[in-house]
Amino acid sequence: MTGFQYADEQLSERELMIALPSFMIGVEALSMPREVASATTGLDGVFSVIAAGVVVAGLTWWTAKFVSKFPRESFLTYASRIVTKPIACILSLFFIFLFVAIAAYQVRSLADIGKIYLFDQTPIEVASLSFLLIIVYAVGGSRAGIMRINMLFIPFIIIFAFVVFFFNINWFEVKHVTPLFQTDINGYIKGLGRSIFFGGFIILWFYIAYVENPKDTPKMVTKGILIPLVLFTILYVGCIAAYSNVVTSNLIYPTIELAKMIEIPGGILERFDSIFFVIWIMAIFNTAAMAYDLAVLGIQMLLKRKGKKTIVLSIAPVVFFIAMLPRNLLEVSTFGEVTGYVSFYYSIAVLLLFVIIAKFRGVKGNG
Amino acid sequence: MRWRSFLQRNNTKNNQAENFSIELVKDLNENIKNLENLLGKPDDLVVRKFRVRGTNHRCAIAYIEGLVDTQYIRNQVMSHIQLDEDLNQIPDQKQALFETLYEEIMSATAVKKKKTLDDLSKGILSGSTIFYLDGLAEVFVISSQGWEKRQIQEPVSETLIRGPREGFVENIRTNIVLIRRYIQDPNLRFETHKVGRRSKKNLVVSYVDGVIHPDIVQEVNRRLQTIDMDDAPETGFIEQWIEDSFLSPFPQMMNTERPDKVAASLLQGKVAILLDGTPFVLIAPTTLGNSLQSPEDYYERWTVGSLLRVLRYIAAFIAVFLPAVYVALVSFHPGMIPSDLAFSIAASREGVPFTPFVEALLMSGTMELLREAGARLPKTIGQTIGIVGGLVIGDAAVRAGVVSPIMVIVVALNAIASFSLPAYSIAIAFRIILFGILILSGILGLYGIILGYIMINIHIVNLKSIGVPYSTPYAPTFYRDWMDLFVRLPITVFTKRPKYMKPMDKSSANKGDH
Repeated sequence: MTGFQYADEQLSERELMIALPSFMIGVEALSMPREVASATTGLDGVFSVIAAGVVVAGLTWWTAKFVSKFPRESFLTYASRIVTKPIACILSLFFIFLFVAIAAYQVRSLADIGKIYLFDQTPIEVASLSFLLIIVYAVGGSRAGIMRINMLFIPFIIIFAFVVFFFNINWFEVKHVTPLFQTDINGYIKGLGRSIFFGGFIILWFYIAYVENPKDTPKMVTKGILIPLVLFTILYVGCIAAYSNVVTSNLIYPTIELAKMIEIPGGILERFDSIFFVIWIMAIFNTAAMAYDLAVLGIQMLLKRKGKKTIVLSIAPVVFFIAMLPRNLLEVSTFGEVTGYVSFYYSIAVLLLFVIIAKFRGVKGNG
Repeated sequence: MRWRSFLQRNNTKNNQAENFSIELVKDLNENIKNLENLLGKPDDLVVRKFRVRGTNHRCAIAYIEGLVDTQYIRNQVMSHIQLDEDLNQIPDQKQALFETLYEEIMSATAVKKKKTLDDLSKGILSGSTIFYLDGLAEVFVISSQGWEKRQIQEPVSETLIRGPREGFVENIRTNIVLIRRYIQDPNLRFETHKVGRRSKKNLVVSYVDGVIHPDIVQEVNRRLQTIDMDDAPETGFIEQWIEDSFLSPFPQMMNTERPDKVAASLLQGKVAILLDGTPFVLIAPTTLGNSLQSPEDYYERWTVGSLLRVLRYIAAFIAVFLPAVYVALVSFHPGMIPSDLAFSIAASREGVPFTPFVEALLMSGTMELLREAGARLPKTIGQTIGIVGGLVIGDAAVRAGVVSPIMVIVVALNAIASFSLPAYSIAIAFRIILFGILILSGILGLYGIILGYIMINIHIVNLKSIGVPYSTPYAPTFYRDWMDLFVRLPITVFTKRPKYMKPMDKSSANKGDH
């Protein structure tokens, strides 16, 4: 007889599989085509995007494989066993800092993009604060709740990405795409570097501990990478095919501009870009809520005695403060780039460090 | 938590039963006087003293007029003791006579022997007849309930075009029979509780053993034990006492008047809670998806059922979001409206003194008033409200230039959509949320609406009904249960019970492939 369990502090592998793309798809997906297009010519950037996807898939699999050797152990526990407790604490502290930065970045850029496409009157502070309060409400609930919201929102996001692609097909022109393979190898690598920001596998360090039996986890999460990979690819192809490389690399948010071209048959609504962005708020919310939750989780791990609600409420001002620090769009974008790259390379560094030291010191997992 | 103790949710059953277990005495008159004193000498207490035929044994019956089927008492009790000719072997000894009466003479079917005044008063108040024999400190409590009952009628609150016309009534026995007739399974269980310190009403928890997950029954029973109030006039009291979250606008239990709906839910692995004195039966646990299902989806062919389902999901969205979206578009994002439509909206709004937000709030408020008035008025006058309301909000308000015609369309469409939802409780929940979303939209436009939508989602995924997430099977996702969610696939594919209920017996049909 199985127990009647909908345990709130446990995740199923499928939830984790959806959590990964939900974390990766956020604000970056809106500006990603510009970054990649500026480094490549024609449609060549798509190869960079796919290559980046493969690299990330590999890293995700490796991380998941490594972490699932320590089932039901928190990051601090297994990290302490590998690299002694003080170093583990420092590592987790930096993770917490990164998650706070990611959450702050999502909150801030939501307000910035919203000011362009949705609310030109509302002050950025009001927009970010209301969004932050919603996140606090979500994180204050159960962890499983956040995973369930991922499950509820991801279909909308996928559907709207495809709508944006397919409704633009009559704008696509072959001359925008050709000639292919004109980029030199440096351009490809640069493009790869710029599209690699979907380094969302950083969440695996913490969330796998909540999976009951992480046997199939590496396989499942790698499958999860398919969703952002396909999404980013079609969005990139859509932008280049409809706008050409040159125009794309000069638009601030090419993905939203792509949505702007859509004419809804029957003319029920105009300016599809606003609707698209409204839906994309759900994606941004997922990313931000998970980052916030992970920051809370990390702090909970370090200070065992504090209650969850206290931590959730006390880091809200910090997140808001950091979100308000950048003075203009340029600084926001730099802030985002830096957090993206740092979290990606930091995650790899931790992985390499752990793998090598675990081998050296002979630390074996129990899974 | 302070809140919970304020709401007395942590109480366990402490002094539920007023204890006056006074032993009976041997003297008949004394016993009857005690009973009269206990009940305060009511007018409707009938006491009839007589002798067992052909002996000197004095005896008496007592009952409350109107609660008892007197015909039954006369035929099954009195006539045997008073009229039977062949009562020749009456023993002289009191105790022996008592036994003989029980074993041979009385032909009433449900007879119990009781010894305390407490048992006796409970019995007489619930419609039993008491039989005293002088010289013994023991009585018979004869079940003889028979009061005026409402006939089984078509349920008023849930009408169907196609489907059974029977509805529950106020009598719990009849209701149990109705359920038993639907499910003739030996595993169908009815567990009785008594609720109400003073009302002592019968509350029955029904489920199908072997289908339902035992933890659900255990949890429901545990919560029912904590109930401590004077009276439970309606299952609504029970619902509010045992629901998971009292702050949520969503109903965490379904209520229905339809036995077919209850039977279907029991077979899905759910619990039904029946209460004496109300035709509304609670079904728990329930989820958001359940609230958007109607029995008719299954009675019609699957194409019709699926169309109705899709329609209902659209209706649910219209019921919550339409006025808010209109307000957001007109006052915050006029660029999103196609230019031709924008012109006609602008033209129709000419001369209207209020902002769209105030207009929407006024009209939705009026709609609520009309709905409430229509529900409260007697049926014969209820029609008038429709006409007056229609004239007032439909025509006069527009001509007077108070609201724009397009606002009338929006509010009317919104009201129709919310009335098309199958469960009144969820429709009302949506009306509450509507106002919240409307206010958010009035402050932040579309951004406010999406924030509201996210908030509703956060609330739903954290909400539970007897331990089952309210958002299942959307998330936690059970794709197999989606066959009966947004659409309703052909009946023949439903060979399994819903997975989200974690039933013990998983298959509901035997197709030879277990």
